[in-house]
Amino acid sequence: MNGLVKDLARLIGDSKVLFQPEDLLAYANDATHYFRTQLPDAAVLPTSTEEVARVMSYAHQHHIPVTPRGAGSGLSGGATPVKGGIVVDTKRLNRILEIDRANMTASVEGGVVLQNFHRAVEERGLFYPPDPQSMSVCTIGGNVATRAGGPRGVKYGTTGNYVTGLEVVLPDGSIIKTGGKFVKQSVGYDLTHLMTGSEGTLGIITGVNVRLLTLPPSTRTMVVVCETLDQAAEIVSEIIARGAVPAMMEFLIKLAITVMNNYVDPPLPTDGEAFLLIEMDGTPAQIESDIKTIKEICNEMKAREVREVDDERAAKAYWNARSNIYPLIMTIFNRAISEDITVPRSRIPDLVRAVQEIAASVGIMIGLAGHAGDGNMHPTILQTEINDEMAAKAKQAIELMVRRGLELGGTISGEHGIGIHKQEFLDWEFDQVQIDLMKRIKQAFDPYGIMNPGKIWLEGGEQ
Amino acid sequence: MLKLENYQDVINKCSHCGNCQATCPVYLEDLLESHVARNRLNLINQVMILKTMPSSSRFKEILDRCLLCTNCTQTCSSKVPVDEIIIAARAEMGKSTLGGLKSFVVSKMLQQRGLTGLMGKAGSLVQKMGVAAREMPQLASKSFDKFYSGTIPAEGEQRGRVAYFVGCGTNFLYPDTGIATVKVLTRNGWEVVIPPGQVCCGIPAIAEGDLAAAREMVATNLKLFDLENVEAVITDCTSCGMMIKEKFSKLLDAEDPLQEKAQALAGKIYEVTDFLQQKGLTDTPAALNISFTYHVPCHRGWSPTVVDAPRELLGTLPGAQLQELRDPEKCCGAAGTFFMEHRELSESIRSHRLEQIEASEAQTVITQCPVCRFYLAAGLKSQQVTHPVILLAQAYENSSQQ
Repeated sequence: MNGLVKDLARLIGDSKVLFQPEDLLAYANDATHYFRTQLPDAAVLPTSTEEVARVMSYAHQHHIPVTPRGAGSGLSGGATPVKGGIVVDTKRLNRILEIDRANMTASVEGGVVLQNFHRAVEERGLFYPPDPQSMSVCTIGGNVATRAGGPRGVKYGTTGNYVTGLEVVLPDGSIIKTGGKFVKQSVGYDLTHLMTGSEGTLGIITGVNVRLLTLPPSTRTMVVVCETLDQAAEIVSEIIARGAVPAMMEFLIKLAITVMNNYVDPPLPTDGEAFLLIEMDGTPAQIESDIKTIKEICNEMKAREVREVDDERAAKAYWNARSNIYPLIMTIFNRAISEDITVPRSRIPDLVRAVQEIAASVGIMIGLAGHAGDGNMHPTILQTEINDEMAAKAKQAIELMVRRGLELGGTISGEHGIGIHKQEFLDWEFDQVQIDLMKRIKQAFDPYGIMNPGKIWLEGGEQ
Repeated sequence: MLKLENYQDVINKCSHCGNCQATCPVYLEDLLESHVARNRLNLINQVMILKTMPSSSRFKEILDRCLLCTNCTQTCSSKVPVDEIIIAARAEMGKSTLGGLKSFVVSKMLQQRGLTGLMGKAGSLVQKMGVAAREMPQLASKSFDKFYSGTIPAEGEQRGRVAYFVGCGTNFLYPDTGIATVKVLTRNGWEVVIPPGQVCCGIPAIAEGDLAAAREMVATNLKLFDLENVEAVITDCTSCGMMIKEKFSKLLDAEDPLQEKAQALAGKIYEVTDFLQQKGLTDTPAALNISFTYHVPCHRGWSPTVVDAPRELLGTLPGAQLQELRDPEKCCGAAGTFFMEHRELSESIRSHRLEQIEASEAQTVITQCPVCRFYLAAGLKSQQVTHPVILLAQAYENSSQQ
């Protein structure tokens, strides 16, 4: 054991410090299988905010880089230790502290797994909508740090819309509590929402307060089979425009349906080019009325088929398969690079056409799936061969798609974050004045640049 | 076969999504990412295939600290056969950190079915390994093969003939499961053939990475079954079922003359309640006055219906009340002989299970795995643990007495 490890063990106990390379290897990557950074020098698994603060204070004193990490299920490389140092693994900060029915709020530690939280609130008839597709493992602290979203974004928004307060360990080891259980506050700067989406560069989120909704009494799943990708995109825009807002509205190409069908029974229809997997929620009467509207739109726009899924078990399986689309894709391809371009929803048809054109012009396969209802698409580069030529083509296609997304009035990331994968595009979206302002904020929080260094902007935030 | 070199490509099919964290019983206790399939595969790749990292005692420990429960494999949408890769790695590492004694018991003793004297000796040897009596399975005073062997005719009109693969758990620990299996099958018109000379299915041996011993067991068993003249081969144990369905063929070389038979057997193997449910009962029992809960064994992935069958067969009987566990499919921590080497970990995994069983308020727990049955019973205060086919047999008895 080296000095760092001994010091950490002294601070929080040796059972909470990892230093063997076999353990540290786990921290060198997140959920992007094609990417690995370096091993940290040590990892710690604190069980209290005070322990996080002790580690942070020590790192501050010795100018050691610290990378916060939840489940490592992110898709931007944000939770990987690109500069070595210490990984603060928050998985053991996993207590649900309070679910307050009267105030419709909850308070959790940062490492609580989203699915466990969903289950706990839903058992009480309450509802926490954010649903990143890694929800079976991802942590709420990680969701806050990346401002994560998911299919329910179309109707319910993303994590940022639910966070009302945070407990944060700052880079110097001090602990702050922002916001609270109240749903409105007009006092000073909104640090809660500055931290939300800060990707671990301003502090470590150890506690989260969120607001809750009432669990919708019923849900219904339906599938729309479309003749073309364009048609599917246009139907999406029309459904939203007429106010029949589904809880989820996923855009899927035939390939996605084909791989999902290896996983579900009965199979989804495959006799189209694009598909919308839709879930309506609300009272049965509301659902009936919305389904009627959607059916009318689909008839008018000549969709091939609208199918209601009456079997709840099948519906659950379809959504589960949708959550697992990337691992499912790996049964066919050897590399899947998922982008996160988000445009104003009326521009979805333009984005879909652009992606098809780019795929054809670069000579590469790009799968299309995404939360079309909120304009967030995940065009995914699919490759069987892995070599330099294919890597160059992937890079070219990504650049073209990102550029086009921005031209359509969009953003380079809707819900994954920048991390290290999209750093080079940051100044495509923001002008230098805004980036410099962000860096000055970073400097104010973290004068030594130890807090998740090497993320968001290319040259690192620590300068 | 089951060689690491055959899994090099499939290791890279891991998308790194990390969803295996949701269901790995070991990870859910330790909350260490190094103990979850994503990192285990990554480590095996780095140490044994790419050789970018040296082998180490920590590496061996991470390999050993896997239950081979297949929960990650069942969760994995990329369909990476994590259990087989770990078995192959253990085999290649050479046998292991496990004591010679246990290795002797699982690899040699279980090959020699029928030699109860020898098994008795093995049992006493195992008990000398320092495990409390309550935490060690006790051999039944009379093994199943002393009750039944050869051909047992159907009662009433014969619907067909099935063969019965008798696992070690049933033969040595729980003959009552075997007796109930024979009774229920014959009562429903099935002639039951029990080929003499059966040995262990080999799953304890592959868990140890002893592929050679497992291969011998596979060959011995395969030669005994006359598959052409039976409709199905029945097992009462989900682990034997998984082994026969998914691993027998993989253990043999591609050109092995027994390969065809291994594949034919894979097409005919059914867990007993699964078979009964699929074929339908010709004789429905009148009633079963019992409240029960169902601990679903981890080795369920080889049949999509094996977890529904006990619920449907028993849950629909008048008087029977199925009180589902909060998480019906969570591991009990036993995992073959895992609980002997990792007592603290296994007991910790089991403790959550016991809490859920208590909370269900059921009097009886059913499960189709003899090791789960033993290990849960050893931890429970008052509830009994049994095989669903035993309850079905009891229901028939009740009907007969009415």
